[in-house]
Amino acid sequence: MVERDHLIRRGIFRTVVIILFMILVGNIFVMMVPKHAYYKDQALENRQVRFRVRAPRGLIMDRDGIILADNTYIADITVPKSSLGSSGPDSTLIRLIKWFDLPREDTLERLRQQKERGHGGALVLISNASMPQIAAIEERGRQLPGVRVEARPRRRYLFGELFAHVIGYVGEVVRADLDTTGDSTGYRIGDMIGKQGVESALEDLLRGRSGTKLEEVNASGRVVGRRPVWLEDVTSGKDVTLAISLALQHRMAEAIGERTACGVALDTRTGEVLAAYSHPAFDPNLMTVPISADQWRALSGNPDKPFFNRIVQATYPPASLYKPVTSLAGLANGVISTSSILEPCLGGWQFGNRYFRCWKRSGHGLVDHTQAIVQSCDTFYYQLGLRLELDQLAAAARSLGLGRVCTNVFADEASGNIPDVAWYDKRFGKGKWTRGVLLNNAIGQGEILVTPIQMAVLTARLATSGRTPDPVFVISPHRKAEPPEALPFRESDMAWVRRSMELVVSDGTGKAAKLDSISVAGKTGTAQNPHGEDHAWFMCFAPAREPQVAMVIIVENAGHGSSEAAPVAGQWLEAYFAAGDSLPGLPSPVTVNGRGH
Amino acid sequence: MSYLSFFFPRGDRWIFLAWVLLCLISLAVLWSVTEPIHGPYNQLDPGVAKGVFYRQVFWTVIGYGALLLASKVPLRYLDNVAIPLFLFTVFLLAFILLVGPRIGGARRWLVIGPIHLQPSELAKVTFILVTANILGRAVDEGRGILAALVSFLVMAVPMFLVLREPDLGTSLVFLAIWVGMVFWFGFPGTLLLGAGSAALSAVIMFYSESVAREAWPWGLYVLLILVVLYFIRLSILSKVMLLAINIGFGIGIPFFWEKLQGYQQERILTFFDPSRDAFGSGYQAIQSKVAIGSGGLFGTHYLQGTQKGLAFLPERHTDFIFSVVGEELGFFGAVVLLGLFLTIILRGIDYGASARRPFGRFVAVGVVTYFTFHVVVNVAITTGLLPVTGLPLPLISYGGSNLLVSSLLLGLLLNVSSRTFEN
Repeated sequence: MVERDHLIRRGIFRTVVIILFMILVGNIFVMMVPKHAYYKDQALENRQVRFRVRAPRGLIMDRDGIILADNTYIADITVPKSSLGSSGPDSTLIRLIKWFDLPREDTLERLRQQKERGHGGALVLISNASMPQIAAIEERGRQLPGVRVEARPRRRYLFGELFAHVIGYVGEVVRADLDTTGDSTGYRIGDMIGKQGVESALEDLLRGRSGTKLEEVNASGRVVGRRPVWLEDVTSGKDVTLAISLALQHRMAEAIGERTACGVALDTRTGEVLAAYSHPAFDPNLMTVPISADQWRALSGNPDKPFFNRIVQATYPPASLYKPVTSLAGLANGVISTSSILEPCLGGWQFGNRYFRCWKRSGHGLVDHTQAIVQSCDTFYYQLGLRLELDQLAAAARSLGLGRVCTNVFADEASGNIPDVAWYDKRFGKGKWTRGVLLNNAIGQGEILVTPIQMAVLTARLATSGRTPDPVFVISPHRKAEPPEALPFRESDMAWVRRSMELVVSDGTGKAAKLDSISVAGKTGTAQNPHGEDHAWFMCFAPAREPQVAMVIIVENAGHGSSEAAPVAGQWLEAYFAAGDSLPGLPSPVTVNGRGH
Repeated sequence: MSYLSFFFPRGDRWIFLAWVLLCLISLAVLWSVTEPIHGPYNQLDPGVAKGVFYRQVFWTVIGYGALLLASKVPLRYLDNVAIPLFLFTVFLLAFILLVGPRIGGARRWLVIGPIHLQPSELAKVTFILVTANILGRAVDEGRGILAALVSFLVMAVPMFLVLREPDLGTSLVFLAIWVGMVFWFGFPGTLLLGAGSAALSAVIMFYSESVAREAWPWGLYVLLILVVLYFIRLSILSKVMLLAINIGFGIGIPFFWEKLQGYQQERILTFFDPSRDAFGSGYQAIQSKVAIGSGGLFGTHYLQGTQKGLAFLPERHTDFIFSVVGEELGFFGAVVLLGLFLTIILRGIDYGASARRPFGRFVAVGVVTYFTFHVVVNVAITTGLLPVTGLPLPLISYGGSNLLVSSLLLGLLLNVSSRTFEN
């Protein structure tokens, strides 16, 4: 006999149990039948993780095959995307932040941004991790599911400052560069991109193509599969060979020393840039990882502007270096001959109500055309300028390579300024300026502006009667140089200019660049600088009769070209002709450091 | 009585059959879990050691012995020794808390040579016996609510000791068994309403506090209680008490929350939002759901489950073994398994009503509540319905103590089933 109370309780108990079991079975049913496909996918995804493998960037070598920029590997510590949920970081992430003593809010904000923008699989918690940090992760791997140490190529510039402006540097992509189309070849968060110089100009060639692989992982996110499945192969970047020679670049830097200066040397036969150095420079290795605040302050606060690439960005008046151009314009337009003698120099020239001074206050007396170049007589050129039309002078300058961008490497290259009638009309208004500007233009002052690389081209074209092509920074992969347009000057006039420039070095203002065994042709210049001491110019080519090399030096705020720039050129030329391939004391590659978060 | 019957338990044949089938399922699943993984990862992930399977075979044999013994020992004898047995296990629980070895951050084990015993498992058996003793005697002697209070104090001792180990899951088992047995004894409806609504109040306040971060869900609940109290027929005093206990539990929750261990808070928060810690404490819950969901109607092929294969399922041979069942045997396998448990439970409830002596009835209900709580909570955890806490699936999860105690309890149920009014 069963008691009545027990029958009621039995009913309640049964009902509760059956309801509970129905909830369980119903829930299991939903998971296993309608949502089966979803969980099936999840199960597969669990085991396979997609890794993006960055391509190693192409090497950059000097003309002799010496490596100037290569790649090392640095380690990033990454956490899975899911570690930063909508409601905040998970316990693993919090633990890591505490361990490594990272600034909590900054770090989380940085990761949040990565998560928003990135396409990649993981978030980079610590970029360029130190050995102790890596060891800490590897030791505790089991307790840190999903946390990985990922190797990533890092660019290394073996000669640091020496090529800072020519090679430039790489840095992390910014938002504008990021790929938003999902194209597998696009840039992703954390990718490196060339920011300056050759790195930027040849980005497409150097970067290669990243690949994608599937790896089997275990529960804590460690890779366990022996062989990854490659969905896309990694294609390494192409190597690039520069025209620059490490040895000659080094000599250029040595010759310039601590001056704020810039030197460019071209092979006159091919237009290849043998050396191009701007000082002060910076260590590009600092730029490949987030730079520390102190280092950044030191660099950006330097009044001599280390980031300023004087080779192509700085513009100066060409000053007396322009006089051969004025001469050639006069000769080509028949307003003067190579042996003409103009009014004597008494220390200047009166034009209208203004007296234009010659640099030599006591005057040069009677000088012929040749002596005018050799002694750099301003008075002679004031008179010559007045015989010319402004556009005739401008055309002569342009034919020699001035007034336009002449490289295809530097995005921020300045084009300088070769003013003509139209320019002055636009600047001052039609009829609001006088032929007086011709006096200034004739001696390379006034509104004329040139870059050092343009002056190097001009020098080379004077040396080869215009056969030197535009500057070539990269010799491999080879790009056929456009043959320059023929110069509108007679060959005899060109030869006369070269002889005059030879005399400048042997007897005139350029004696400091004289070599014992090789004759050098050159021209000094002193660019007026309204902001301070004048800039010292020197251009030259050698050997004078069979030119191989042309170079230009400008030393800022130094004074006269004859005393300040010519010796620098002489020192470099000596090294160039000493013995190209057996130069003692080549620089050894620098050790790369510079570590950041 | 034939000679063979000596080797078979007495009592309900269906319950015994369910025990046999559940043990076989357990061995089959453990064999699969301990298989090295087929495919290219043999050397890399050998799975769980094969020894786990063989040890479970050994414990199944021992468990059968326990089942046999428990089904045949005279119930009256157990009634008489219930109190000393219970005191002995309480002593053991206190003993390991004081001098037991700390393993994995907890003092749960009594270590005798190579054998690790969990006194808390044994305590489940003696607790059922002692409660059945107290409540049974109260029925015989016609006493009421006082016996229920005494049994509550008796329950509080092992519950508190186990909570200190710490082992939240197991300590809740004592509470659940007590609720089941006292319900059977006859619990005043008002008290039941009070306890139930207070618990609900606490849960809702918790939800308001930690997840919604707004007070209105709990406010709404209190409003609902007021409406219910208005319509219900009760003394004013009872109504005031009910309201007070609801508000008290609700307001008390934030203080209780502060008392919880960090990892416990984390687990509860993660329960409400597993994605907040996909690789931390939410990891087990997510992986377990993935395993079960990927099983489909018929399961991925036995011995070839993908989740267990690369160790995505932690605790896969112990507390989370149900997810392996789901993955490998599919929906039908899981339903069969639950059906076997349901058979034991429903038939057990019958014996709770039809057993000849009150002691036997309460033993039956205690055993049934034990199985109900373990199965429902364990499966709810593995399917993501409850926050993760360590609780094995009876007879299926690997572990000697679990198998031994579950078999012992089923033996007791079989014993009770052989002494009913019907036979």
